[in-house]
Amino acid sequence: MKLFRWWWGILLAFLLLAVLRFFLPLPFSNEIIIFSIYTMGCSFLLGRVGFISFGQPAYLATGAYATAFYLFYFGTNPYIGILIGILAGLLISLIVGPLFVRLRSDYFALVNLALAVIIFYMLQKVLVDITKGDNGLWFLTNIASTPVLDLSKPNHFYIFAFLVALAVWALYKYLNDTIYGACCLASKINEDKVKFLGYSNFKIRLTAFVIANTTTALAGSMYAIYLGFVSPEMTSAHRAADPVVVTILGGVGTLYGPIVGAIAYTGMKDLISGLIGNWELFIGFLLVFIMLAGEKGIWGTLEPLLKKALFRKNAFKSE
Amino acid sequence: MMDTQLLISGVIFGLSIGSIFFLMAIGLSLCFGLMRIISLDQLLYYSIGAYITYSISLVTGSLWLGALGGMVVAGVISFAVERFIFLRIYERDIAFTMIASFGVLIGGVGVIKSIWGVIPRPVPIPMVTQISILGTEVPFYRLLVVVISLLVYVAIWLFLNRTIIGKAIRAGIEDVEHVEGLGINVYRLFTTTFIIAGTLSGLAGGLHAPLIMVDPQMGLEVMPFVFMVVIIGGLGSIKGTLISAFLVGQVVSLGSLIYAPLAQMAPFAIMLLILLIKPTGLYGSKLLKR
Repeated sequence: MKLFRWWWGILLAFLLLAVLRFFLPLPFSNEIIIFSIYTMGCSFLLGRVGFISFGQPAYLATGAYATAFYLFYFGTNPYIGILIGILAGLLISLIVGPLFVRLRSDYFALVNLALAVIIFYMLQKVLVDITKGDNGLWFLTNIASTPVLDLSKPNHFYIFAFLVALAVWALYKYLNDTIYGACCLASKINEDKVKFLGYSNFKIRLTAFVIANTTTALAGSMYAIYLGFVSPEMTSAHRAADPVVVTILGGVGTLYGPIVGAIAYTGMKDLISGLIGNWELFIGFLLVFIMLAGEKGIWGTLEPLLKKALFRKNAFKSE
Repeated sequence: MMDTQLLISGVIFGLSIGSIFFLMAIGLSLCFGLMRIISLDQLLYYSIGAYITYSISLVTGSLWLGALGGMVVAGVISFAVERFIFLRIYERDIAFTMIASFGVLIGGVGVIKSIWGVIPRPVPIPMVTQISILGTEVPFYRLLVVVISLLVYVAIWLFLNRTIIGKAIRAGIEDVEHVEGLGINVYRLFTTTFIIAGTLSGLAGGLHAPLIMVDPQMGLEVMPFVFMVVIIGGLGSIKGTLISAFLVGQVVSLGSLIYAPLAQMAPFAIMLLILLIKPTGLYGSKLLKR
């Protein structure tokens, strides 16, 4: 029973997501799931550790390109490709992490954005011999069909992505509940006191950075498998703000904010780009509007109301 | 070994490009120092400055008039943006202002695209005079750009150290709350600083326009370099920004002489190295609060 109580929030959220699958077109559902995994890392960094990461596309591209290299040049098994993507994300966050987490939050944002731009240059110009520059790598036909869940089929891919997202959310809920999650929050609020209590701020932040960016790399390799191609466009400066915007739109630091934000943002973007050609203009003003609208975000506003409603119902029952 | 002529023209190229970076980075740096916002929309004022310069110099044939017009228009737009957007969200977390300014940048690029179109356009160089330094022919215009940026540095220094508003701004960089406690309207200071920053970005665009082509994405193209300048110099420091702008300019110019991709990678490596030694940049003070 206790176990069930721990799980019910996640299960309910994913049940709703599964129901949505029957009302929305399949590509949109796939997009939402991958996008919310992508945002989860950023939400954790911003909400729990207090780092604004504008460089998430860098880690996304690392995961995507690692998977793409494997599928384009070496093998055919998409599962191994995803594993390689995760390992690449782990590797790059272990390399840059110790450098970046020592910085203040504002420098962290700038340095991360600079990293994303540099990775964009590398993929587009410097490593053009192996990345094929702006043309990107196309490997949809290289993906072999696998026995149980065939990732080359979109509807099987949806089930896989769904399970991965469920696992990711369980992991983050577990992290939020542990002492480590409390330490993260404490180091965001008052780092001196954390130091005083005998914890190392550096280690807490480095671990959070590595976990969050490995999640992002996982989202990247899933994008690569789902789309069947990668191009440097995924790290371009235009998309740098996407995860942070979705985080804020959904509600900073909340568990389900990324899902709600991803549905709202992807939906708005699809609607707008369907109606109007000059999407940049409207995305720009949309961002400004979201920032002006409120600090809590959609889920941050809804959550207390929902809790209140549920709580009232329970109180009524016990009487 | 590189020959001297190539080296000299490389150094001049680096100095001129460093001046442009300096003019843009000073805005970002001042805005961060005083208001604690990372104002990515400075890159938009840069593009607007360049486009207005293009239009005016096409009509009147004078680049200087164009650059002046670019400065004025950039200043006015920055004033409007500050009034309508930033004034409402200064109090919030830095992520909000950063994304709002990013939204202004993206939206502004959309406006530029719908007014001037997406095709890159050339701007004529106002003077083709070459002067010779140690036997190398150097374009006079590039030297003029360097001189202008040094004049701007002196003017900013005088403004910050000799006028009462400048002193208030410097005090605000140290501690905004104390300045407010003295009865100074800090929001007026914020507006002043933001307009200065926007105008200087517009000037940078106007001066840079003849050296490159104007295109809607030009702001995003210089973005990484301006960031590196600001980070290396230390957010909020004018002197650090000047030094790091010329450093980055030289690295970009001389690096591309040795091996072309080095132009983008070398400044990044230097930035990482400096952050490793001093996490706040060369002249960034430790006093700034998170």
